[in-house]
Amino acid sequence: MHRTATLVDDTVALGRRLGVALSAEEMQRIAEHLGRVPTATELFAFDAQWSEHCSYKSSREHLKKLPTEGPTVLLGVGEDAGIVRLGEWNGETYGIVVAHESHNHPSQVVPFEGAATGIGGIVRDVLCMGAEVIGVADPLRFGRLENEHCRYVAQSVVDGIAAYGNAIGVPNVGGDVFFDESFDENVLVNVVALGLVKAQDIIHSRAPQGSAGWDIVLVGKATDRSGFGGASFSSLTLNEDDADQNKGAVQVPDPFLKNVIMRASYAVFAELRANGITAGFKDLGAGGLAGCSAELCAAGGMGAEVELERVSTAQRDLPPEVIAIGETQERLCWIVPPSFTPTLLSIYNDMYSLPRIARGACAAVIGKVTGSGRYVARHHGETVMDVDLEFLTGGIRYERPYVLPAPAEESDADRERVSAAALAWNPTSLFERLKLVLSHRDVCSRASIYRRYDGVVRGCTAIPPGFADAGVLVPVPGAPLGVAVGLGGNPRYGKIDPGRAAELAVVEAIASVIAVGATPVGLTDCLNFGDPTIPDQMGAFVAAVEGLATSAGALGVPFVSGNVSLYNRSSSGNHVAPSPIVGCVGAIADISRTTTGTFKRAGSWIVALTTTDSFGASVFAEIAKLDARGLPGIDYETFKESCAIVQEALAGDLVLAVRDISDGGVLGAVAEMAFGDDGRTIGVELFDGFGTGKFESGRLFAEGAGFVLEVGGHAEMDAFFLLCEEHGVYPDQIGMTTNGERLVYRHNESQNCDEIESISIAELREAWEAPLRDFYGRQ
Amino acid sequence: MAVLVFPGTNSEDETLRAVRAVGLDGALVHWSSPEVLAQFDAFILPGGFAYEDRVRSGAVAAHDALIDPVIEAAQAGKFVLGICNGAQILAEAGLVPGTGPLRHPTAAFAPNASGRFQSVHVHVKLAVAPERIPILAGIAPGAVIPAWASHGDGRLAAPTDELERIERDGHCAFVYCDRDGNPVPAPNGAALDCAALVNRAGNVLAIMPHPERDAWTFNHNDASRDAARGDTQAMLAPSGGIRLFEHFARALRGGVPA
Repeated sequence: MHRTATLVDDTVALGRRLGVALSAEEMQRIAEHLGRVPTATELFAFDAQWSEHCSYKSSREHLKKLPTEGPTVLLGVGEDAGIVRLGEWNGETYGIVVAHESHNHPSQVVPFEGAATGIGGIVRDVLCMGAEVIGVADPLRFGRLENEHCRYVAQSVVDGIAAYGNAIGVPNVGGDVFFDESFDENVLVNVVALGLVKAQDIIHSRAPQGSAGWDIVLVGKATDRSGFGGASFSSLTLNEDDADQNKGAVQVPDPFLKNVIMRASYAVFAELRANGITAGFKDLGAGGLAGCSAELCAAGGMGAEVELERVSTAQRDLPPEVIAIGETQERLCWIVPPSFTPTLLSIYNDMYSLPRIARGACAAVIGKVTGSGRYVARHHGETVMDVDLEFLTGGIRYERPYVLPAPAEESDADRERVSAAALAWNPTSLFERLKLVLSHRDVCSRASIYRRYDGVVRGCTAIPPGFADAGVLVPVPGAPLGVAVGLGGNPRYGKIDPGRAAELAVVEAIASVIAVGATPVGLTDCLNFGDPTIPDQMGAFVAAVEGLATSAGALGVPFVSGNVSLYNRSSSGNHVAPSPIVGCVGAIADISRTTTGTFKRAGSWIVALTTTDSFGASVFAEIAKLDARGLPGIDYETFKESCAIVQEALAGDLVLAVRDISDGGVLGAVAEMAFGDDGRTIGVELFDGFGTGKFESGRLFAEGAGFVLEVGGHAEMDAFFLLCEEHGVYPDQIGMTTNGERLVYRHNESQNCDEIESISIAELREAWEAPLRDFYGRQ
Repeated sequence: MAVLVFPGTNSEDETLRAVRAVGLDGALVHWSSPEVLAQFDAFILPGGFAYEDRVRSGAVAAHDALIDPVIEAAQAGKFVLGICNGAQILAEAGLVPGTGPLRHPTAAFAPNASGRFQSVHVHVKLAVAPERIPILAGIAPGAVIPAWASHGDGRLAAPTDELERIERDGHCAFVYCDRDGNPVPAPNGAALDCAALVNRAGNVLAIMPHPERDAWTFNHNDASRDAARGDTQAMLAPSGGIRLFEHFARALRGGVPA
């Protein structure tokens, strides 16, 4: 008893001295399991593996609720990324690798490097599935631009994403940006990455069966001190005083080296295929070399023996714990049969000459797979780590106490009261209100951001940012297959009702890929929340996961990958708005059937599907200062029918352009459809097809699940109405496209057509473009 | 036909696809094997960030062993096309405008006026007589080609007298324009609104915007894609920016149309 107490005390004292983030209880478990005081290397290894970031210790229990299976899933949750079915071509099944990651804490401390390494990390997650990396998309949540530090962060994050993504040659095909004071001290930088892989060429992140005696090969940048302690850092609350110290925990990006490593890895994939060799491949992220090689071997039920002095290091005399646990960027780990090792080394070191590209960069054998189930690391012969792999990586679970948030219900009386207030808020004309909405920080044009990103490198881009709600790529040369990626997640919703916000995030992500004519095949989530040890914050997380499960279940689209980022709170106690952010991947069987979200010609009908009456958390409610408490309700059956209508209308050539309804409501969507950047100038004539007073009441600014469509001519309109009737959905005719360059509003088309208001599209466009252009600069 | 790959190049695959689409027999040649370049009779330097664009964009690559056979070939009258980073390398190597000694650039593609990388869709228009530019055999006077200007350093800059020489001697091969061919200011602030430089003999062309990124119907975000709606073959067919490669291929065939 006395001996155990001393053992635990000594361990906790060591942990405190080393500055690990493990709790005393966690260190006690480790000490009792080992029956000795752990080495520094071991303690750092547990610190990383048992961090929230690696272990999902607070979240895993809840994440089980998400639907993760379905016919479109080629590889479900569990490895570095999920894989969904894209389609068949020339007898081969193609999959899209989907990964989602956050780099929130690093981006707050050193925004340029933090955002850049965020891209770097996610690209490796996709690469290590044996895939070609074909695209990225960035959901960003910035603080208020009135705040000087927030301005710096918002600039530098965009610069970092541009610097890294542009250099490695992966197109940035989507993203969204919201601004909110809850992100003033905790920026959210999420990134979704996509890869292309044939189903039969998928490489798994595990030591293959019977791989005892195989080589463990470390590839990439020379290991240095950068990023030491990154995993546990990302699971801490940010403290202003520690800012400089924390900077050391952020990795240093090298997109130039990554570019070469990616291409060399593609060459390795080709060799493996040619020789029919199964290998294991995984990227080094949180937990560094020990974390990566341990997870590889644990996933295959194997063990590992690693000689740390064989690791190429940038500095002499790096202590073993830094070599083992440090999170130096641009590194990957292979497990290959020894017969293949010379080929592997030659591709990286000779053909792609890594040692010439960056000092100390190389591929090197650093250890062997064993059948022991133990992770053993030696440094110049001295054993610095000897632990049971299952214990190290099987992780730990917490059942955090939580208090679910009260759902934000809105009664009919509330709704009427708000509608009356909206009607009363009429300081100016309809179009002046529209200008206010279009220039709102969450609605205005993002062109000044996405034009800093290369959206067209690789030459496969069909729809780059700015033309539609989702980006579309044509990734298989010669094949008509297309892949769409869309995002959803609104912090204004999250603050009111995290559960409903999560549902709406799924709906919006799905709607955005439907709008370009794609079939949703998989979802990916990044759950950004506050401190899980606070029951309210944990409750918001739990409610959001339940919301995701409800929505994905109702709409029949599985989650295939995701990420959880907790502790997004500052030392002053501010938590971020609960931010469940969702990406949806859509498959397009025939790229000739896709369309954009901009008007194509004059004389088309403009129609809205499933508009709601709710102003809750809408941009309009904020501008008009409406006390709207509820969030838009979701009628899943109607939404599903609306999605089917859009798909069938596109297949039947009835529809020329589609947008989903999001921030700015129906009228915001119509305006963006008129802002086509494709050489056309098309005007709009609105009429009150909603029935009396809909425009005046501002309902065209209500947000919620739905679509705005440009429907061809009269014959198409007849067919479209029939289609809607078959699906039991009643569309609202809200206007027509015109040859003019103006947006015109007539009270009622069937009556005297008295023109009430008119504004030039150019003036609206200026209101929409100015805010971020003035901040980020004209591009 | 060799497509050169330096460490940091990132547009080699789509460039090779475009080359093959116009019937050329192309291959990628990596920096680790410069010796194989001798077998090739034409060269394309694709986009990217060769050697991380250290010092200046294209400067290190212009001194790489991989570029020596290209310089020799250019001087022997063989065809050399540089796109984006490739164009910057050709300028740094002194091959365009080619008015000074080798590797002593007289004009450069300098940082954009905005000071930042930008990726915008553009059109470029032939600004010289077709006979001035044999590397694009058969190109029509004033031909307009769509492309993506995706670069941080694409602003043509040179001393005043050199700019006068570039203009006077027809070294400015393409200028920025709208889809109808009307001149527009260069999005990067380039002198002369110049998008591409050609050498005196017309066998070396350095173009900043990427035609290979708008080279298939599905790439076009305008009415030409709408026209192919529902027609899978037409949607997957080469068009638009591919025309630059078609003229390049015709040049390699000695001017004979395909």
